[in-house]
Amino acid sequence: MPSSVELVQSLVNGVGIGLVYGLIAIGFCVIYNASGIVNFAQGVFVMLGGMFTHSLLTKVGVPIALSALISVALVAVVGLLVQFFIITPMWNRKAPLFTIILATLAVQIMIEQIVMLTLGDQPRTYPEFTPGGPLKIGPIAFGYQLFWILGCGILMVAALSVFFQKTRIGRALRACSQNRESAALLGIPVQRMLMLSFALSAALGAAAGILITPTQYTAYSVGGPFGINGFIAAIIGGFGSAPAALVGGVLLGVVQSGAIVFFGAGFKNVVALTILLIVLLFFPNGLFGGLGKRV
Amino acid sequence: MALLKVSNLTKRFDGLLANNGIDFEVPEGGLYAVIGPNGAGKTTFFNMISGFLPPTSGKIEFAGRDITRERQDRIAAMGLIRTFQLVQLFKGMTVVENVEVGCHLATSGGVAAALMRPSWYRKQEMGVRDTARELLAFVGLAEQADLDAELLPYGQQRLLEVARALAAKPRMLLLDEPAAGLNTHETDALAGIIQKVNARGVTVLLIEHDVGLVTRIAHRIAVLDFGRKLTEGTPDEITRHPEVIAAYLGTGDSADA
Amino acid sequence: MSVGCVLVVGLLFGAVLVYGGYLITVLQLAMIYGIFCLGLNFFMGYTGQASFGQNAFAAIGGYGTAILCVEYKWEPALALVFSMAAAGLTSLVVGYPTLRLRGHYLAMATFALGLITYDISVQWTSLTQGYMGYAGIPPLGIGPFTIEDERLKLLCLVVLLLIGLWISQRLRDSRFGRALRAISGSENGAAALGIRISRYKLAAFVIAALYASAAGSLFAHVVGFISPEVFGLQMVVVTFTMLYVGGIGTVYGPALGAIVASLLPEIFRSAGRFQDIAYSAVLLLMLIFEPKGLSALAGLVRSRRAKSGG
Repeated sequence: MPSSVELVQSLVNGVGIGLVYGLIAIGFCVIYNASGIVNFAQGVFVMLGGMFTHSLLTKVGVPIALSALISVALVAVVGLLVQFFIITPMWNRKAPLFTIILATLAVQIMIEQIVMLTLGDQPRTYPEFTPGGPLKIGPIAFGYQLFWILGCGILMVAALSVFFQKTRIGRALRACSQNRESAALLGIPVQRMLMLSFALSAALGAAAGILITPTQYTAYSVGGPFGINGFIAAIIGGFGSAPAALVGGVLLGVVQSGAIVFFGAGFKNVVALTILLIVLLFFPNGLFGGLGKRV
Repeated sequence: MALLKVSNLTKRFDGLLANNGIDFEVPEGGLYAVIGPNGAGKTTFFNMISGFLPPTSGKIEFAGRDITRERQDRIAAMGLIRTFQLVQLFKGMTVVENVEVGCHLATSGGVAAALMRPSWYRKQEMGVRDTARELLAFVGLAEQADLDAELLPYGQQRLLEVARALAAKPRMLLLDEPAAGLNTHETDALAGIIQKVNARGVTVLLIEHDVGLVTRIAHRIAVLDFGRKLTEGTPDEITRHPEVIAAYLGTGDSADA
Repeated sequence: MSVGCVLVVGLLFGAVLVYGGYLITVLQLAMIYGIFCLGLNFFMGYTGQASFGQNAFAAIGGYGTAILCVEYKWEPALALVFSMAAAGLTSLVVGYPTLRLRGHYLAMATFALGLITYDISVQWTSLTQGYMGYAGIPPLGIGPFTIEDERLKLLCLVVLLLIGLWISQRLRDSRFGRALRAISGSENGAAALGIRISRYKLAAFVIAALYASAAGSLFAHVVGFISPEVFGLQMVVVTFTMLYVGGIGTVYGPALGAIVASLLPEIFRSAGRFQDIAYSAVLLLMLIFEPKGLSALAGLVRSRRAKSGG
């Protein structure tokens, strides 16, 4: 029977990883709301964020802040390339749903393989953004990275909220998600909105990956599980809004953390799926009911 | 005896009151219609009756049973079959196969029967095929039976939906704007079919925009406007009712033949 | 046209049976994947939904058979049936809540299912031997008769695939099959005609799981060794490629797709380390330029009409 210290510690850790899941989840929502596509390759953006940052940091010697920013930009470009060369042509040719998903899976495999062949298959990591710590409050340890995750996470969600509510482009993107046809009729360049959504989503994924890497590791294959957990978080929170996705992520992270304490690390994905199934059983539209059924 | 009884039916979407306290009854054997200008709430009304939209408040009874929040397939199983304003054809199936699906309620047999094919099942399948072809002949689509349903021109797709609904042996048929997009000739054919169906004992309730069609064949008409039931009466009474005329003239619609 | 297909396939098999060699193994796997795809096609083609987690049920079949036959010395046939039952039950339990999702949600949720099963097969080492994989699985057989000759194995698999095809055809041309296809065509229309959508989707899901489990068990027997990788992401991509090639919603499509798509990776074998990249790159190109499937490209006319048969 785990002690209360272990439980509280797992809660703290869970919030950290949960925020990351939340960021990934927001990425899913952005693309889905703008285009009706769920990007199965979302996890790969997470992986690339960590990998690029590590490479820039260790091989080129770029300081961490700059590495992070450059990586985010690079991954956003990757997202754009995927959207432009793969997703859109298929969408325009009225590809059946499962072939688009198959394509994103193929993209994930391809990118993972390329990364493995160019950067090797060794897991790697880099130090926390602020060395030292962890901050100890009683017996509970708060890693410094956790504060970075918290801070950056909240900042990003706030920025996104402002973006979607106050800027013209953001509102246009929201209009797209309400009704693509009407948006097009209103003169909103839907194609460009799609590109924007992919770039944004990729950037969010990359940020998530960059933030979480110091607390674990990154390798060419970490994308898949992150993507899955992010998507589960998105479903739990409902696809309605960024804060909802974040809450979904945190919930998932916390319960998963708790389960690791009780059952061991190997079953954390099992736990994730079970949570998903239970949530779906009682809340078919996600906890916040934001799942608008797009046809 | 009222086959369908709607009491104080209300539907609110956030701020919009789509249906406002509607009371309505259709007796067994009747051929009734609901008309009203665009946005009057007709389709919302139908969707609630057929289980595709939960009402905010009110009660719906069919054959004496409360069906207010019932599942769509259960409502259909009770004998209340509807068609759709936007035709819901079964893509990937032929015209006759579409109608055969309509026979689902009137038949039985699942996986086991499909695999074993006992003699009762084989007979049933033959019956299904025959019924489907009969119904296609009834609506005038006999020649198109083996075409892919999606290839049918719009007007014929609507007829196919009617044939399919009939295959379900309905006690009551809800037709959602069956004449939408049909030309005069097709509308006449449709009117004839609806009357023949009603003569066979099927109660019919239709939503229509085409007032002419409705005044020709309906026994009684209810008029909706802005979610309320304006009035109800025989075709004669309705066409002379000043508020009805105002409601339609206000949107530029006039009773067209 | 279908006569032509049958002839080509027949010749191919004839040639392979006569000449033997590596291609026998390829075709054996094609048959197994074909069975898997038949089931997947059943769910996806006839209900219009996408499940990316059928490999989970194949894993149940594969590991079920492996454990029962090796640890507990069960008869292969019995183990196969038992594993199918286990897979069916699991699909029932998992399908009930998840099938409420549609489209992408369902796809991802089922994808998660596959990943979870992979995780379990890796982590639960006491049961599954983890990464090391499970070896020593006996070949197919009943009682004292075991099938060890490679050609005989292939023939046996062909027979099993044909049985699977027969079942699939029977189910399609029936009230049950019509209801499923109706759901695929229009859920609202189907519900309005009294079809209980959730029940039929679940039935199709379970049927797909049963086929997948059978395929997994057969794989275990034919190859003699399984590991978590066998039932992982690769399987998802390969089987979907097969459906893409052969076309969904058709009766023979999955089997044809399985045969053709099994031969494709052989072309990339020479690429060595780059095999996966080459394969996925080519797949992507095909998907981008002909998303509706290769059969559309070839202009094949596949009979989509139910042959009403008693």
